Amino acid sequence: MKKLSILFLVLSTVLISCSSDDDAPVPVPVKSEKISNLEAPQTGGQGQPVGGVFTKFDFETGKTTTSDTAWDIAFRGTTIAVNGGAVTGTADEPARNGNVGAAIVTGTFAGVTNAKDVTFGQDADGVFAIPTGSDNGWYNYAGPPTHIISPIPGKILVFRTRNGHYAKVEILSYYKDEDTSKDSKHYTFNYVYNPNKGDTSFE
Amino acid sequence: MKFESLIICVLAGFVVVNGYTQEKAIDTTLVNELQEVVLTATRTERQLSSLPLPVTIVSQETIKQSGTIRLNEILNEQTGIITVADESGFEGIQIQGIASDYILILIDGVPLVGRKAGNFDVNRLTVGNIKQVEVVKGPSSSLYGSEALGGVINIITEKPKSDVLSGNASYRIASYTQQDINVDIKQRIKKLGYGVFANRFSSEGYDLTPDTAGQTVNPFENYTFNGRLYYDFSDQFSLFLSGRLYTQYQDAGFTTNITSFEGDSEEQEWNSHLRLDHKWSDDLTTQYEFYYTNYNAKEQLADSSSGDIVSDSDFDQRLLRPEIRTTYAFKDRSKLTLGVGFQYDQLDRTFFDKQVDFNSQYVYAQYDTHLIERLNVITGARFDNHSEYSNQFSPKLALRYKITETLAAKASIGYGFKAPDFRQLYFDFTNSTVGYTILGYNVALEKLNELQAQGQILDVVVPESSLKVPLEAESSIGYNAGLTYKENRWNAELNFFRNDFKNLIDTRVIARKTNGQNVFSYFNFDKIYTTGLECNTNYRITDNIRLSAGYQLLYAFDKEKEKQIKNGEVFARDPETNQAVVVSRSEYFGLVNRSRHNANFKVFYDIVSAKANINLRLLYRSKYALFDTNGNDLIDDYDTSFVNGFAIANIAASKTFYENFTLQIGANNLFDYTKDNIPTLPGIQLYAKLNYQF
Repeated sequence: MKKLSILFLVLSTVLISCSSDDDAPVPVPVKSEKISNLEAPQTGGQGQPVGGVFTKFDFETGKTTTSDTAWDIAFRGTTIAVNGGAVTGTADEPARNGNVGAAIVTGTFAGVTNAKDVTFGQDADGVFAIPTGSDNGWYNYAGPPTHIISPIPGKILVFRTRNGHYAKVEILSYYKDEDTSKDSKHYTFNYVYNPNKGDTSFE
Repeated sequence: MKFESLIICVLAGFVVVNGYTQEKAIDTTLVNELQEVVLTATRTERQLSSLPLPVTIVSQETIKQSGTIRLNEILNEQTGIITVADESGFEGIQIQGIASDYILILIDGVPLVGRKAGNFDVNRLTVGNIKQVEVVKGPSSSLYGSEALGGVINIITEKPKSDVLSGNASYRIASYTQQDINVDIKQRIKKLGYGVFANRFSSEGYDLTPDTAGQTVNPFENYTFNGRLYYDFSDQFSLFLSGRLYTQYQDAGFTTNITSFEGDSEEQEWNSHLRLDHKWSDDLTTQYEFYYTNYNAKEQLADSSSGDIVSDSDFDQRLLRPEIRTTYAFKDRSKLTLGVGFQYDQLDRTFFDKQVDFNSQYVYAQYDTHLIERLNVITGARFDNHSEYSNQFSPKLALRYKITETLAAKASIGYGFKAPDFRQLYFDFTNSTVGYTILGYNVALEKLNELQAQGQILDVVVPESSLKVPLEAESSIGYNAGLTYKENRWNAELNFFRNDFKNLIDTRVIARKTNGQNVFSYFNFDKIYTTGLECNTNYRITDNIRLSAGYQLLYAFDKEKEKQIKNGEVFARDPETNQAVVVSRSEYFGLVNRSRHNANFKVFYDIVSAKANINLRLLYRSKYALFDTNGNDLIDDYDTSFVNGFAIANIAASKTFYENFTLQIGANNLFDYTKDNIPTLPGIQLYAKLNYQF
């Protein structure tokens, strides 16, 4: 039964696709997902040289990946790299072979509805497209006594993926299970991905 | 615990017994209330009730009856004055919602130095030999210059009047092994007067979080010595000489979840004050004053297991200030006061490249007159010429209009400023564990270049030119307006206040480091205001029962943040979903550590027949926030660092016996209210004090 329905689905999709060949294409709805507890380990820090492999993420599959090419963004500690531009010079970073662009837009997640007016940046020698450091990019470091890393509310990350799709991301927490008393370097974020190539809309 | 219950029982018994004995209290003739005289507001003697400025006086009697021993305790019981610990963990006084950084602390009219992250810890000051404490609210830079934006607290010591040797010795023991010993002697022999005072204060400290290692307040002991000399050379010349030494040792050890540290912190303060009063005639007097103070704090910490010294800090501040003041009294009671002075500040501390110094010269003038019989006008101004920042001109105008014999209206407006402090100009500090750097403004460019040469800088985020314009002094304009009502049995006052601050100095990022951290420096940007109203009322039910109540309403906000909120640019996180939501104006709570409501209620009861008195003081503070928890750099309803409103009751009872002995017992924080996030408030504290006066 299940197989049948899948077959039906595939068929109907094909049929729909065929039938709409001459008309304007019906866009596939945007994909809204939540990623919980993406681990982004880092070695060193606290005055020591930082290192460690970045955790890479691919918007198309909505999963982490170890592929050297099929990734859009990558996480290590509080640092976020994009697969676009050039290496920044930090240790153990992945080679950039895509054309991913990144920008930080101010607003609520729902309020960022389109990427058409966004100016994208890329990683470059010595600089990440998403700036590092407290209050520079996506997070704020509270300092003593709590030392908590909080995602700055109202900072929405907007990306142009390596395949020319658009996505927006709101980081919700830097701690496991969104609980600041648990381990850090665990990202939880919402994202919206537009599966229609070149379409900048998030609605 | 048994000891505590015993004291409570005794206390309760005391109340009951005295209640009975009171019945037959002899109806003493109406105590002719002495007019309270204030020095701080005008630098001349003025009756409190006739002043056009908001002033609070705390008398020696109130201090004694309340059983308080340190200045913070008694100030905390005054309307609109609270002590708070800020983000740095250091404690200071807040007046009209204005932080300790902007409140000047004086002893006999000369300033005290030695602030920690801007906070002056008034816990340092014993109240054992105080005649009265005067608090002038609102800006007083027109007389006192820098730091007098939010208010001036002046501690007035007692002058010997009698040719009989008099004084007192007391011992007080309290919970947390708190011990306070005082010896005070004074005498006046014809032309010569002297006063000698010594105090020792110690405590084992206390712990609000027994589950975690380390105490909330570590054990300490401190000593205060003060010697004063008064000599009349002639009818024209009289001399005042005072030396004061304060020294404290505190265990500075603490334990984190990984390691423990041990060490000591040591504080030492020396004040020498010399004043020559020259009375040219009945109308003209001049005071020549010379003042020197040195404040020194040292702290050393070592890792307990390895013995490695992890922190060794030193802070050594000196201030030298000669000043000459002249007051001329005109035939019509008007008074003209002129002053000229020079101030030399010096600081040598860890995280400074070298010892730094400032000097400034200043002149001020004040004219106090009655334009018409009912209208008193005080107008004054001060000019400060400073070596490190732009010159300051601080005017002030205050008016009081006597509407009827009992009712008066008063209003004042004044300018206040605070010079950028040494830390804001010369700090050079890199956090060794996290890796960020804080640079004082005056050294920022030079240090930045050094860091750049070492390859530590990724990029500089501000234009270099913005580091070349000198840092401005922080300043405010304060407005006060209100009514006072005074008749025999009761008095009341109402005061509206508003303080508009600009050029507040805060840190901002000036560069990013290659280690992902930031370089900060100080910068003028914040514009804040505090506004509200204060009312106080005292009612004498009988000659022996006094009631008083006070209330302060406070709104304290950052104007820039208000603007950002209006533009919908401020966000918070919904605690359910963690998603960003827009913060509305009604969700903006205001500045940290500010409570909307402060209130107090006090009853003082003198039992004349039994030579005893008892009092109860209730203090209330509504909720406030400690720090931003959701990364939007302001306090909103979504933050989680709120401290709930709380009330504290303090009670004290004294009885004099054998003529010379007074026994006092009491309890502070009677309801035993404690919270982890109010580290300055220990639980119930019971005490007993024996005083011998001679």
